Amino acid sequence: MNDSILTESLRVAWSDLCFFKRNIVSILISCLVGPLLYLVAFGYGLGKGMEVEGLEYITFVIPGIIALTTLSASFNSTATKVLVQRTYYMSFDELMLCPIRVPSVVIGKSLIGVIRGLISCTLLIILGLLLSSELIVTPMLIISIVLSCFTFSFLGICAGLLANSHQTLNLFTSLVIVPMTFLCGTIFSLSALPDFVQVLISVLPLTPVTECIRAAAVGSVFPWASFAMVVIYCAIFYSINYYLLKKRRNV
Amino acid sequence: MYIITTENLTKKYGEFTAVDSLTMNIEEGGIFGFVGPNGAGKTTSVRMLTTMSPPTSGSATVCGIDLINDYQSAKGFIGITQQHISLDRDISVKENMIHHALLHKIPLKEIGGRIRELSELMGLEEYMDRTIISLSGGWKRRVSIVCSIIHKPKILFLDEPTAGLDTQSRHMLWELIRTLNKNGTTIFLTTHYMDEVASLCNKVGIINKGKLVALGGPDELCDELGHIAVEHIDDNGRTSYRYFPNRDSAQEYIKTFSEKKDVMMRTTNLEDVFLELTGRDVKAEKTGKVIRV
Repeated sequence: MNDSILTESLRVAWSDLCFFKRNIVSILISCLVGPLLYLVAFGYGLGKGMEVEGLEYITFVIPGIIALTTLSASFNSTATKVLVQRTYYMSFDELMLCPIRVPSVVIGKSLIGVIRGLISCTLLIILGLLLSSELIVTPMLIISIVLSCFTFSFLGICAGLLANSHQTLNLFTSLVIVPMTFLCGTIFSLSALPDFVQVLISVLPLTPVTECIRAAAVGSVFPWASFAMVVIYCAIFYSINYYLLKKRRNV
Repeated sequence: MYIITTENLTKKYGEFTAVDSLTMNIEEGGIFGFVGPNGAGKTTSVRMLTTMSPPTSGSATVCGIDLINDYQSAKGFIGITQQHISLDRDISVKENMIHHALLHKIPLKEIGGRIRELSELMGLEEYMDRTIISLSGGWKRRVSIVCSIIHKPKILFLDEPTAGLDTQSRHMLWELIRTLNKNGTTIFLTTHYMDEVASLCNKVGIINKGKLVALGGPDELCDELGHIAVEHIDDNGRTSYRYFPNRDSAQEYIKTFSEKKDVMMRTTNLEDVFLELTGRDVKAEKTGKVIRV
């Protein structure tokens, strides 16, 4: 039977979706605790009465928190799942034994991260709309969030395929994900930083994601260059996964 | 008709040759036992024959499909139960089965019936809603087998399926293997247990240090070594083994010993063949002997 890539991807994602269905409450709680704490600590604690880039701080920080949620929710769920399935359950091998194409494996494995990211972001958007009257939901906001969830899910799969243990994955999270969470303009404006630091941070994938989501959420001029950067990151992470899975057969 | 053919199939990891010029043909419909010491190349051979790992050189076909150039097409004909339990432990038995059926592209309307049929065959009906993690080793193995045959493969690779199981579970699995074989599935079984091979297999291959050192029926291999074995324990407590084509010649040999209490005559078994070809010591070098019947 010659399925489309989408159908094959859904076949791959099925077991992850079963897991998601079984554990939906705990998954959502764990996804939302972090962003909500950021919201309370930065939005109401530190930022009360502040203005950043001409916006009330709460309006500035909510899109940033949505951006960092796309990173944390999507990355964590795919990276951990792939690592566990590959090294502990060994069920990842089963995928490679089935008549499923590599692109379907990559997309299928990313879907749990995308769905988790989208649900978390939806809840945050609803909360954001209640907290700030300046926030709007636009098609580009939704597109940016979906693209970002795919990008960071693909990054999570890369990490899950490359890590040898939870220890290695934690190291990657500490060195790459945590710094991105704080530095990429999610909770403060990059304009406050020295120029060379701004340049360094601008090449990290969460920075253009934050710019796109913030611009779309507050209705300012959409940064198409940043959007193109996110698309490029998405393509790069997808290609790395494709290469790793192809190479995996050659072991 | 041969379901598996290999010609000089070789797998190298850098300088190390894991499988060295494996050449064999396996008939359709039988149970083939593939044995060898740890690290002999059994699992590497299985990985190559199940498309998980490409050979460094040589050729192989499964169900007539070239594994080098068309491995993707061969996947539909192959089922494998791996050495380790490779099920998703976060989801239930039934969900694992459905997932495998989906991955093998079984039409949706057929999945329910196929799962019912196999769970009945394996006695798994009451475990369907339990998570994998809550099952004992033997039941996990059964679920593993169901998942690997859900798409009705022509050949099922069982990589040490009874390792670590208790005697009851081993015997239950033997029955299942016989049933599957009776239903038309060719079985390729790797194991460390010679009684398992003797009980189940109609053809045996012995691999040692990457090389196939014996290929033939269990009785044929024993006869080739010598139908009768004589064990003798010497004054230092070491046991020596000699093999003879018949009882008369074995008895002639026994007469040469003054102390008869340390000598035993018995029928040669597969374990004798295995140890003669692969060495009695775990550190033994190649014996250099090869039996092909």
